Amino acid sequence: MYTKKKYGIVGIIVTIIILIILFALTNVQNSKMSYVENLANKIVMPIQNGLTYIKNKVNGNNSFFTDVSNLKSENKELREKNLKLEEKLRELESIKAENESLEQYLNLTEKYSDYTTVPADVINRDLSNYSKTIVINVGAKNGIKENMTVIAAEGLVGYVISVTDSTAKVQTIIDSSSSTSALLSTSRDSIVCKGVLNDDTQLKAMYIPTDATVSQGDTIETSGLGGIYQKGIYIGTISSVENTTDLTNRYALVSVAVDFSKLETVLVITNE
Amino acid sequence: MNTKRIVINLLFIVTFIIIYFLQSNLFTWFKIAGVMPNLFVIFVLFIGLYANKFMGPMYGVCFGLLLDFFIGKKIGITAIMLGLVGLVGMIFDRNFSKENRITLIVMVLMATVIFEVGEYILGYFINNTYIQIWPFIEILLIECFYNVLITIIVYPLIQIFGNKIENEYKGNKILTRYF
Repeated sequence: MYTKKKYGIVGIIVTIIILIILFALTNVQNSKMSYVENLANKIVMPIQNGLTYIKNKVNGNNSFFTDVSNLKSENKELREKNLKLEEKLRELESIKAENESLEQYLNLTEKYSDYTTVPADVINRDLSNYSKTIVINVGAKNGIKENMTVIAAEGLVGYVISVTDSTAKVQTIIDSSSSTSALLSTSRDSIVCKGVLNDDTQLKAMYIPTDATVSQGDTIETSGLGGIYQKGIYIGTISSVENTTDLTNRYALVSVAVDFSKLETVLVITNE
Repeated sequence: MNTKRIVINLLFIVTFIIIYFLQSNLFTWFKIAGVMPNLFVIFVLFIGLYANKFMGPMYGVCFGLLLDFFIGKKIGITAIMLGLVGLVGMIFDRNFSKENRITLIVMVLMATVIFEVGEYILGYFINNTYIQIWPFIEILLIECFYNVLITIIVYPLIQIFGNKIENEYKGNKILTRYF
């Protein structure tokens, strides 16, 4: 009993002494304690640094995941925008093509204002190497009939050889079955132009009158004879004159005004 | 008619449509000196050679009529000439072996010449075509070369499908394969 009481008093005294020391230490200047602090730092800092490094890493990863999520939504948004822009671009291209086509029609109509015309697009070309017919997208429903003249902005294309309800076949002037009655615009001499089999850009002008003067660069237009083509439609220009020993057999080559390889838009003259 | 034969005939029609689009689109971009091949001649000759007798001429006339309706100047010219190519195929089948690549190339050459010369002559009488011999020969030679080139390329396909069609239609009556 006595021993227990004695230890209790000692404990209290020790505690009080520790408290007094601690109290005294708190009031001592920091500089005087630095060596203790340094020692503690040397022990603790490596651990602390390691822990901080791990913590930073975890925090960094968090931001990485957040960024991925942001990027995904941003990417989705950009893709949608891109799709919309592409759609707009397509619309604009379609409008541009339509505008060009309408412009061509307008130019054609203005150029041939004397004629009543129906505009058309070329939808098919001959599959044979020896024939040069085309198919256009207007037919009987649009008032198209056989033997009607077909023209383009540059000049004469050909005439309608057959018609369905919504299409018409056109025999071009460059087809080897075509014979176009024409006039030399300077001398007003009458000639006949025939299609050349292996050349889409030239016609052979035949039956040139013996007294006619034909020279390179002369322009050729339809004569109106033959009952198919109207008079005065431009065909092309004389590119060369081939003189033969017999003057009646001489012929000339005519460069056609229309580029048949790129022909897309035509007008059918419906005047009768 | 059994299912296999129905499938073969449907395939003929599908092939015709494919060839039509190849001829009117693809080959307008792949011309040799401005000249296109004539796949219809090769195809009708193929039918004449491998399918049942009269199928070549029959398909030739039908395909030719369709082509005349689509783009021809007068109805009937291509029909007559493709029908003739089918008939030529049938005659070749009776008299020659198709197992040799060279023989087949010669057949294609002859069929192309017969078709184009015939069509040009008919065109002269019916459409009043202005005859130009040398340009015609020039185009014909290039076309023959192009057709032969395509035949060489598709020869393995011709053999595989041709033999299947022949087995179906002629069965044990195939004699040319053993000569």
